[in-house]
This record gives sequence, structure tokens and C-alpha cells, in this order.
Amino acid sequence: MSETVIKVEHLYKLYRLGTIGTGTFRRDVQRWFTTSILKKGDPYILSDPEKKAKHIENQSVLALQDINFEVKHGEAIGVIGSNGSGKSTLLKIISRIVKPTEGIVRGRGKVSSLLEVGTGFHQDLTGRENIYISGYILGMSKSEIRSKFDEIVAFSGVEEFIDTPVKRYSSGMYVRLAFAVAAHLEPDILIVDEVLAVGDADFQKKCLGKMREVSQSQGRTILFVSHSMQAVKNLCDKALWLNKGELQAFADVNTVVNKYLNQTQRANFKQIWISPANAPGIDWLRMKAVELVPQLDRPEDPLDIRVPLMVKFQFWCLKEDIELSVGLLLFTASGECIFDVPSDPVLSQIGVMEGQCTIPGNFLNDGSYYVCLHFVKDTSIPVYDLDECLSFDLEDYRGAIQWYGKWWGAVRPKLPFQVKHTAQILENTSV
Amino acid sequence: MPVTQTTKWDWEITNKTTFWSHSAQELWAYRHLLVGLVRRFFLLNYNQTVLGPLWVLFQPILTLVTYVLVFNKLVGISTGALPPVVFYASGIVLWNFFSDSFTGTSNTFRENIQLFSKVYFPRIIMPLSVVSTQALRFLIQLVMFICVIAYYSLTTDFDLTWSWNLLLLPVAIALVGLLALGLGLLFSVLTAKYRDISNLVSLGVRLLMFVTPVIYPLTVIPEKLRWVVQLNPLTPLFELFRLSLLGQGLVTPGQLGYSLILTVVLLLGAVLFFNKQGDKLIDVV
Repeated sequence: MSETVIKVEHLYKLYRLGTIGTGTFRRDVQRWFTTSILKKGDPYILSDPEKKAKHIENQSVLALQDINFEVKHGEAIGVIGSNGSGKSTLLKIISRIVKPTEGIVRGRGKVSSLLEVGTGFHQDLTGRENIYISGYILGMSKSEIRSKFDEIVAFSGVEEFIDTPVKRYSSGMYVRLAFAVAAHLEPDILIVDEVLAVGDADFQKKCLGKMREVSQSQGRTILFVSHSMQAVKNLCDKALWLNKGELQAFADVNTVVNKYLNQTQRANFKQIWISPANAPGIDWLRMKAVELVPQLDRPEDPLDIRVPLMVKFQFWCLKEDIELSVGLLLFTASGECIFDVPSDPVLSQIGVMEGQCTIPGNFLNDGSYYVCLHFVKDTSIPVYDLDECLSFDLEDYRGAIQWYGKWWGAVRPKLPFQVKHTAQILENTSV
Repeated sequence: MPVTQTTKWDWEITNKTTFWSHSAQELWAYRHLLVGLVRRFFLLNYNQTVLGPLWVLFQPILTLVTYVLVFNKLVGISTGALPPVVFYASGIVLWNFFSDSFTGTSNTFRENIQLFSKVYFPRIIMPLSVVSTQALRFLIQLVMFICVIAYYSLTTDFDLTWSWNLLLLPVAIALVGLLALGLGLLFSVLTAKYRDISNLVSLGVRLLMFVTPVIYPLTVIPEKLRWVVQLNPLTPLFELFRLSLLGQGLVTPGQLGYSLILTVVLLLGAVLFFNKQGDKLIDVV
């Protein structure tokens, strides 16, 4: 059994909103005088406990509430959660940057944190000088930096420019050099916050590779925050899911990531209008419902690019014998249309009409999409557009592919693709 | 397992703030950072300048010329038995050391918040690096100043009498530096909390110069008013500085003791205050 290197118990962090303190020097002095010298209650916090609780509630936000977990030696932990869920606060507390409001964190070994790429870098200094000063700030000793200097420079790939001020670097070179310094830290516990969002795909891969090397072959403990589930799954053994400051789950990485994706994705999958009177539409056509039904094998599976998606819709029709067809439009989050698929025209009947269309699995790329419906009369006259009625995120799935950069293209269809061997190279064939 | 239960933890993070937040061992581990920061200061200030490090000397020389012209020739303040150039040079060099150290350290939190919110290291390293940098600059200027004294004693009838007082020179310099550090630490916390105080600091330093014997010797102050200037703990230190180096200065052991005690108390209090408040300030600035 390996030993516990970090133990977090009942951790709370309360941030006050707005101005901290009373905001002015005069009132701070007055408060200090009444509380410390006169030993009376704080004049700026109401004395009634009920009101006081409400006051505190209104003016503060609990970034972390009652967090408990333990990390064992050599584990790589992915910390996941939506924006504002307290991930960074947790890392900042463990890195000793901010103090917790309540609770205790105990640990063994040297901790290094990498919450930003290029901490301590200065624009006017050369690459060489920045390696040293940044290394010192991150807690390396002079001899440590000196012995790894060549390795750092080689990893960053900026050998030629090492004596040039970093302000003349391209942003890619800057980031590479900055990460290279951090990657050569040798702490017992490494804390990394979303640093892979920068740099090109090639470099991201190199960084992840380096981190995997650090955790697996060198046996160091890693806490890693990322929004890329692919990266977390590949790098970490366990995942810790924070939701609005609370610990939602802490277990095996696949279990937690799937649970997380499942919960966060089902946001705008369904719209229902109760009565035709306030439903969107025109005088003779009113929407009743639109729904996206992912064809999952098991309900707890994540919504990734392999899953077929069924779009179902219902509408009230108040006119007969119109030759009506419906178009299904799919857009990327940035507004590019991926396809516009029309249905065969049907003759309308008074009452509720419904339709459905299935987008196959293994067809779209990962990303955010939204759906629009388009109603057409006589195959040519636009009648009504229902804009952005459904939206969804498709999660990435790459199986064993060891590539973590953004996959290009609006679609990623599985097409029949063959590469095969056709002939031997003969010895005496002239080239 | 009971075995793992009893093993000790290396570190512990709670909401408690301590006065002695860093062990000497921890500070020692960060000594390279201190040296690196001092080095960075010199590199940054003199990179891409024509005169480069000569600016360390150029700035006090220009100030000296101005002071001699304005205060001596125009206003006509007596400099006692000392030649005006020597007198003003001594005041300017020591005063710059004090004021640059003080204003530099008093902005610790405001200027480094970006860094402090991203990485942990003993916060006190930053103010220490500012004072070390200024001390180094001061020593360079002191060498120049000694050359000026040597020039004057060789070419004019200004007579230099060496005495055992010279041994007190490091004491005067160290106390000025420590006083600046103590004040700076105290004000770094205050300026972080209340922005208006940083305006007060720059104004206060400028005014403080007039109740410190920088541009006048203590002897020219009427005896009835002397106590006002002597309330300033810097006064005995400036007088001691001149006494030990130039043989002219008005200081009693009692006054020196007053400065010493005040400096020690202030510095100790400021370090404790800085450590205690430093961790909380990250959420505030």
C-alpha cells in the first residue's frame, strides 16, 4: 500500500464579494476600535444572527465546501468541473497561494505548482536569464537549473534565440520555453492548471507526453486541471469532480468523466410548448415540441461522436392540403452550416403532425452544435424558421489514437478507407 | 493502518496565519531567488541604455550639482565646516538609499500581485531583494563618494581627520537600511489594503527629507527647535554617517540608542505584521 501524500479534510473557502473590509480606512479603524477596544459587536455586521447569516450569504460565495479526499503517492489525479466550480481555488490552496477559510490540508514532499505558463518571465530579459529567474521562482536551485539547462533549451526548441530578449519571441516560442522550465521541475507533487490550452497541437502532445513520463516512470504525484476530457482520461488514473464548490465524485477516471459529461451535456435537448396560443410559429402552424434523443446503449454513457442522434419534432397544423416539407439544419457553434436536409413533401392535415430525422453516429466531429428547423411550402416558398431550437455538445472519442490536438473539420465521418500493400520493392529495379 | 497514521506530515495548510511563517531553512532554500532578483533589477534597468550601469553614478551627480547650486549658492544654507560638495554628496547618497529602499518595498504587494497569485515562495524575499539591490547601488555610490573626499582632501585645505568613529560607519548604513525595510514592510501591507496610502508614501518621503539633516547640518538648526529634527530616528544616523566618514556630526550615544531601539522594534513588528497579513492579502489586492 503506497502512502498518502496529500490529505484534505473539511476544506472550505469563502470569498467575499465586492469590497473586502468596509472599503475605507476610516470605517476600518472605527470597526477595529469598536471590536477590539470597546469589545462590542462589529458595527458593520448586523448583530441579529439571522440577519447576519443572510448578510454573509448575500455578500460571499463559497468557492469550496467541505472537500475531503486523499491522494496516494504516484497517482495522477484529474480535477474536472465546469467554470467556477472551484478547481483553481483548490489548487491554489494546495499550492499555498491562498489560505483556506476552514479545514486542513496535510502533505508530504515538495510541491511545485504550475498555474500559469511563464510565471516570473520578464519581457526584457533574454531566454537564458528568464530560465534562471523563472526556475528560482518555481523553487529550483541554481545547481539544479544549471544541470538541466541544456535539456530545457532542447525541449523548448529555441536554441538559436536563447540570448535574445523574450519580447522578440513568437508567442509559440515563448510558451514553449516557459513550459520547458516547468517541465523540468522535480517536485514530489506537481500541480498543473490548464496549461495545455496554449501552444500548438504538436507542443501540446509533447507536454502531455512529458507529464505522463513524470507521473508514470518517475512515480511523481500529479494534480491536473483540464477541460479536455481526452487529456484527463489519457493522463490520469483517478478524477475528482467539483461542482459549485462541492466534491461530486472522486473515483476511477472513466467513471467520473462519464458521469460528468452525462450531467453537463443534457442542457437544451428538449423544448415543449403547452398550448398553441403562445407557441412559436405562424397563424396556421405552431410548434408543439422539439427533442433530441441520443441513441445511447446505456443511459449513463457520455454523448460522444459515436452516438447517433435522433431529432424529433411535433407541431400543430391548422390548414389542410398544403404541400409541406421540413428542413433540418445543423450549425456549428460558430454559425457555419454543416448541412440542410429536407424531408420529402407531405400534404398537411389539421391536427398534430410530427417528424423525425436521425443524424448517424461516427459522422460529426467533436464540438458544439445547434439545430434549426425550416418549414417550406410547395418545395420552394419558405413558411417558417425555428432558429436554434436545440443545442448539444459532442464529446471526443479517439479510442487508442495518441493524438490530443484539435481534430480538424466540421465532420469526422467514418468512411471506407483502405491502405494496403501491393508489391515488393525489387532489388534491381532502377529508381 | 496504524503505521501510516503515526508518520509525520511534511507540511500543513490551515486558515491560521502565523507570525513566523518561514523557517530560516526555507528562506535559505530561496537564496538564489534573492540573488536572481537583484541581478534582474540591474539587467532591467540598464539594458538598452546608452550609459548603462553608469546611471548608478550619474543620477546622484546630477542631484549633487542641483543641490549645490540651489541650496548653497542661491539659498545660502551653511554646510558647517565641510565643503558644500562633500556635504551634499554624503546627504544625497545616504538619503537615496533610504528613500529608494522604502518606496520600493512599500509597493511589494501592489507590484507583484500577478506573481504572488500564481506561485508560492516566501513573500518576504521580494522586499529583501529591493533593499539588497538598493544597498548594492549605495555601495557603488559610496565608492564614488570616497573618491570625491580623497580629491578634496588632496587639492583643497579641507582636512580629514581619521578616527575610531569610522568603525561606526557600517552601523549607520545598516540601521538606515533596516529602518527603510521596516517602514517599507509596514506600508506594503497598508498600500495593498488602502490605495490612497501609496500617494501618502511618496509625499511623506519627500517631506521627511526636510526634517532629516540631508541639505543642512544639525548644527545650523537653532537649539530650541533641534528636538523636532531629533525626533526623526534618521537624524542621528545621518549625523553618525558624517561623523564617521568626515569627522563632522552632532550625535550623542543616547540619540543613537533611540534610533537603534526604534529601528529594531519597528523592523520586528513590521516583519511579524507582514507575515501575518501577507497570506490574507492575496484575496484582497
